[in-house]
Amino acid sequence: MTADMTLAHTAATAASHPSSYLWLIPFLPLFGFLINGLSGKKLRNTAIVDTFALGSVGVAFLLTLWHFSQLIGLPAEGRSIHQSLWTWFDVGGARVLGGLTTYKIEWAYKFDVLSGCMALLVTGAGFLIHLFSTGYMAEERNDGRYYRFMAYLNLFVFSMLNLVLGANIMMMFLGWEGVGLCSYLLIGFYFDKESAAIAGKKAFVTNRIGDFGFMLGFFLIFQIFGSLDYDTLMGSIRDIAHLPAITLYGHTASPTWWFNLIGCCLFVGAMGKSAQIPLYVWLPDAMAGPTPVSALIHAATMVTSGLYMITRLNFIYVNAPTALMVVLAFGSLTAFVAATMGLAQYDIKKVLAYSTVSQLGFMFMGMGAGAFTAGMFHVFTHAFFKASLFLGSGAVIAACHHEQDMRNMGGLRKLMPITFMSMGLATLAINGIFPFSGFFSKDEILWKVFEGWFNHGHYNGPTLYLVAWILGLLGAFCTAFYMTRLIVMTFFGDYRGAGVDPYHLTVPSEAHGHGDAHADAHTHDDHGHGAHAHADHGHDAHAAHGHDDHGSHGHGPAEVSWRMWLPVAVLAGLAVVGGFLNVPASITSKWPLMGWTGEHFSHWIEPILFQVNAPHHGEHVVPGIETFLQVFANFWALGAMALAWWIYKVDPSWSRAKAFVTRFPNLYRWVNAKYYVDEFYEAAIIEPLKRFSAQLWSFDTWVVDGMVNGAARVTLIWAHLMHWIDQKLVDGAVNLVAFIVQETSGVFRGLQSGRVQHYAFVMFLGFLVFAVVKFFV
Amino acid sequence: MVSLNAVLLISFLLFSIGIIGVLIRRNALVILMCVELMLNAANLNFIAFARHSGSVSGQAFALLVMGFAAAEVAVGLALVVALYRKRDTVQVDDINLLKG
Amino acid sequence: MEHLLETIGRNMFAIFGVMALCGAAFMVASKSAVHSVLGFLFAMLCIAGCFLSLDAEFLGMAQILVYAGGIVVLFLFVVMLVELSKFKEKTVFQLQSRYAVVAVLLGAVAFIGVFRKVIFGTASTEALVLRPELAQGLNVAQQNAQAVSRGLFADYLLPFEILSVILLVALVGAVVLAKTERV
Repeated sequence: MTADMTLAHTAATAASHPSSYLWLIPFLPLFGFLINGLSGKKLRNTAIVDTFALGSVGVAFLLTLWHFSQLIGLPAEGRSIHQSLWTWFDVGGARVLGGLTTYKIEWAYKFDVLSGCMALLVTGAGFLIHLFSTGYMAEERNDGRYYRFMAYLNLFVFSMLNLVLGANIMMMFLGWEGVGLCSYLLIGFYFDKESAAIAGKKAFVTNRIGDFGFMLGFFLIFQIFGSLDYDTLMGSIRDIAHLPAITLYGHTASPTWWFNLIGCCLFVGAMGKSAQIPLYVWLPDAMAGPTPVSALIHAATMVTSGLYMITRLNFIYVNAPTALMVVLAFGSLTAFVAATMGLAQYDIKKVLAYSTVSQLGFMFMGMGAGAFTAGMFHVFTHAFFKASLFLGSGAVIAACHHEQDMRNMGGLRKLMPITFMSMGLATLAINGIFPFSGFFSKDEILWKVFEGWFNHGHYNGPTLYLVAWILGLLGAFCTAFYMTRLIVMTFFGDYRGAGVDPYHLTVPSEAHGHGDAHADAHTHDDHGHGAHAHADHGHDAHAAHGHDDHGSHGHGPAEVSWRMWLPVAVLAGLAVVGGFLNVPASITSKWPLMGWTGEHFSHWIEPILFQVNAPHHGEHVVPGIETFLQVFANFWALGAMALAWWIYKVDPSWSRAKAFVTRFPNLYRWVNAKYYVDEFYEAAIIEPLKRFSAQLWSFDTWVVDGMVNGAARVTLIWAHLMHWIDQKLVDGAVNLVAFIVQETSGVFRGLQSGRVQHYAFVMFLGFLVFAVVKFFV
Repeated sequence: MVSLNAVLLISFLLFSIGIIGVLIRRNALVILMCVELMLNAANLNFIAFARHSGSVSGQAFALLVMGFAAAEVAVGLALVVALYRKRDTVQVDDINLLKG
Repeated sequence: MEHLLETIGRNMFAIFGVMALCGAAFMVASKSAVHSVLGFLFAMLCIAGCFLSLDAEFLGMAQILVYAGGIVVLFLFVVMLVELSKFKEKTVFQLQSRYAVVAVLLGAVAFIGVFRKVIFGTASTEALVLRPELAQGLNVAQQNAQAVSRGLFADYLLPFEILSVILLVALVGAVVLAKTERV
């Protein structure tokens, strides 16, 4: 292959339909951001901010729906709408594997089966969360921070839409970095609170580590393919995979080896964004941000970007078996470990955060098993029920006056019936109870993993699949347990916040306004509302503090306004019915209901999936096993729920839980402290890094500075010598020159008269000289 | 009828008078007027050539130049007024902060 | 009489041109700024006459409106505002005047020398009579305003719009520059 031949890409042959309105979907939120961000500070009336923020996302959602409806009308293999706005930058002439490339990176959007679904999710869930925010952030309306929040949310939606709709990896990377930035801005929204500022930093830095891997990954892709367009990549993967060997940077290896490397690099990026072990640590800390942010970023959209990326680049992963194994291993490990961490948390948002990490682990597990559809389907169902849960928890927190500790809640079932109903349904969905959505998606993942080992009845697949499957089952058990625990602690029993606390379950509350939470929690001094720290009459202090603007009452928790419960309810409704989009064939083949064929989502997503061999549907050697596992998974989850019910509801004093803790104090301590991972990082990475920096610094002071000082001394002696020569010989010469210059400069000084007209005259003279020269020549 | 060279000659002379004015007068107001005069000389050429080539572009451009001239005068006069406020003079040779 | 009027009509451009030159010279030479403004006004009106005699009616009218109507008034205002009488010019002209005049004249000669072929060439001495096929496009005689507007709003729309922005900026700039500084 000669070095200088120009790459001619096999143009994407798949028919793609142009659209001239596609750009509006991502840009409308951007406009909303610009309008709110630039003018929001001046606007007195936050209703205008609402109009722009909600309007832009709402219209974007409608546009997405319109495009989606168009997509449905197209034939299956041509379901793609694109719009190319402008050439972003031209990398023509870059030397890549096949020679020189003439590739231009376009600012282009692509709306196909995958990105269309994601865009629907982002704009739809985004809109509901915006709506929720208008109620939740009511307190900020008065102190001038409200517009900032809404603007950031809009910017986030723009970035996320860029990520999913971009037609090449560069566009995805732009969104990738954009959502990282927005997450930083939004987590650190209460930047006057130190913990929030630190959490924001942590999220950003951790994400940067992942981004580094992602960048390496797509640099390698560009080196090998000479292009970053999804269509081109997918079109040329077969040719590249059939090359005997690829040599890059002096290293020769098979294409599979390189694909494995790319896959692993990209997965590092996905680890950061989608919070997988070992880079998951930022997500629980990210709960320092306002709750709608947790719902939008850390449940529904941003964390799914890693999964979207893997699905989008599935053609690479399919050709990279080792990378898939890595994904499977890390995914299953995360699914289990994070689920156990959720068992012993008391902060309602922390529980949900670990739950999110765990569920993301499930999705990666599915991807690792090669079931991109199953993983992606779980992305959607998870987005529904987790967003609903997060928003519900936000409603609960708002109703309880920023109380986040579940021990201080309880009994909200009667006080907040709509929130309870919605969250209860979402919990059933996440637990994987038939027929709620979580059942279909989670079970599909577990089945695919099991199938990898089961290997069509031979039971001789890689052992990793079996291990992953067992970890997944345990994770599912833990999930059902802690979610039920959350619901029971929050909604059942009696409300413990108002001083009614027969079993002494409540703890000193850390919750308060925003800015003063820390000062209060740490120093129980006497200023103003120090009394709230005492659980007995803590609530009175709250009431006195006055968060009346949440609900109509200033006393007990009450149902929140419609702006808050409506999104929760809508999302819960979606969580209930969402599963029917992808009913496994094993069910529909047995119980055909009104011609409902099932596996809609799988068929829908199929065009963008890379097929190595002919697809095989429903080809199960022993179909009984799948059915058995489905039934088993239901009872498994129900068992976990019953256990949680038995521990926390049947005995309202939680004595069984307490007995367990006293029996295994170390186990409890480890789980509650999240296995000391943060501390481990602090000790193993951050502290050595700091110490290493200190060492470098001392090296600097002693060795480098010493060398510099020594050199200075030598120079000084030398300089004294030179000084004498200088003074006598050189200065004489210089002074002579200076004298001459001084004398002549007097003449030229006159030119610098400072009068504009002189200058103009000289300019004219110059023109004259030209004219005269022209005249004579 | 008028010939092209007559127009060019007139506009050239106008331009020359403008340049002389800019170079020799001390009053900033008069200098501004001379600049206007130079612009008008250019306009005259535009129109003559528009006529000559049978295209309307020259006239359109002359109109645009007029707009620019108006903007220039507005800013220039504002400068003169500001100058008068600050330094109590409109004589350009009184302003020689650039002097070395 | 008939003959005289006809001659004047034929040489309208030359007459207006020479008058414009006189006005310009008066503007440069006069001591008082008010006289200068009057000279300027006269020159502008004559140039408008030149435009008219070149069949650019719209531009001629615009010239009168913009210059005689707007800019001259502006100049007069400023002249009144700055109280020129306070500092009677000691010398009207710069010290460099003599050299400047000589240089400009030299430049004029050189310029004419360079462009003599253009100015005195055969092509340019023939009268500026519109060839009929060109007149079709220009439509000078009947619908000059229409033709100009077509040029302005069809071919040069972007410069035109930019000009409007520049005018706005100049407006704002002028206000900022000229307003009294409040401490």
